[in-house]
Amino acid sequence: MAVAARAAAEPEQPTAAEPVYEGLVTRAIAFTLDAALVNFVALVVGAALALAVSVLQLSNELDAAAAACAGVAYLLWTVAYFVTFWSSTGQTPGNRVMRIRVVLAKDGGRLRPGRALVRLGALVLAALPLFAGFLTILVDDRRRGLQDMIAGTVVVAAPEEEQPGVSAPGP
Amino acid sequence: MADSPIRLGTRAAGVLGGVALRPVVQAATLAGRAERAARAAAIGRLSAATLAAVDAALASRVTEEALDRVLASALARRGVDRALEGPLVEAVAAGLSEHGVIKRVLDDQVMEQAVALVLASDELWLVVEEIAHSPAVTEAITQQSIGFADEVAGGVRARSRSADDWIEAKVRRALRRRPVAGSP
Repeated sequence: MAVAARAAAEPEQPTAAEPVYEGLVTRAIAFTLDAALVNFVALVVGAALALAVSVLQLSNELDAAAAACAGVAYLLWTVAYFVTFWSSTGQTPGNRVMRIRVVLAKDGGRLRPGRALVRLGALVLAALPLFAGFLTILVDDRRRGLQDMIAGTVVVAAPEEEQPGVSAPGP
Repeated sequence: MADSPIRLGTRAAGVLGGVALRPVVQAATLAGRAERAARAAAIGRLSAATLAAVDAALASRVTEEALDRVLASALARRGVDRALEGPLVEAVAAGLSEHGVIKRVLDDQVMEQAVALVLASDELWLVVEEIAHSPAVTEAITQQSIGFADEVAGGVRARSRSADDWIEAKVRRALRRRPVAGSP
């Protein structure tokens, strides 16, 4: 009984094969970098298009349609950005700077585009209730947020010498 | 007291002798002056002729050619080698230091003017531009920038991971949960 209580009180020792899961602050910084990059590109492209369209005298209806198209294009760009990077190398540019990678929780493998899309949708869901969905990262043993739990992924450390596409060891 | 006849005779002979030799002495003096004047004139002319000959020799192509051959010869190289091997270099360095030559040159306005002239020359900026656009310099700057960015990112990574561990430890303690594996 005493042995069991002591074992419960002591922290679990990481095994050699266990990956290092990344925490909330590191992931938040990586996501901030990604958001800055996404918005910067969208801003530049949008400004260029707006400048080009400004020479045309569009009616109010066409103006609204152009704004709707721009919104859809922005949404598609954002989705394509995250889905492409998560499903190709597991690293967005922000992740690469922070040297973290999104992998499958079950075997440390690469995400398929469908799963990456689910993870992005879950990310939005996690952010909706005042970012409460991210707080589970603080208490989960594998530092999983709501989006990780829904998509079956984890975020692990990606050392510099590790080549993109090489999966981290499975849990 | 009256002089004796012998003394009077001797004095008279001296006076007479001096008067008789005066033309001879004056002639000898004049001859000496003429000889010195002639010698000085001859030396002056000889010196002028020598300098003229040196100038002519320095201005001649033959001298220039001879100098080029001497400088290009193995003898000149050996001479320079021996001079550099010997104590001459240390002696020159010691002399420069002892007499404050470098400080004097740097303090001199000539140096400032030379620097100003160099800075004002277009050739300098051409050289600077050439160096700045050289692949080696560009690559070095790029590598240094990448290294600096990587260093900054490394610092951010280390601090963010420390912050992760700290926040999680606080939250887990507040919730009375076990510390996560590998956390401090």
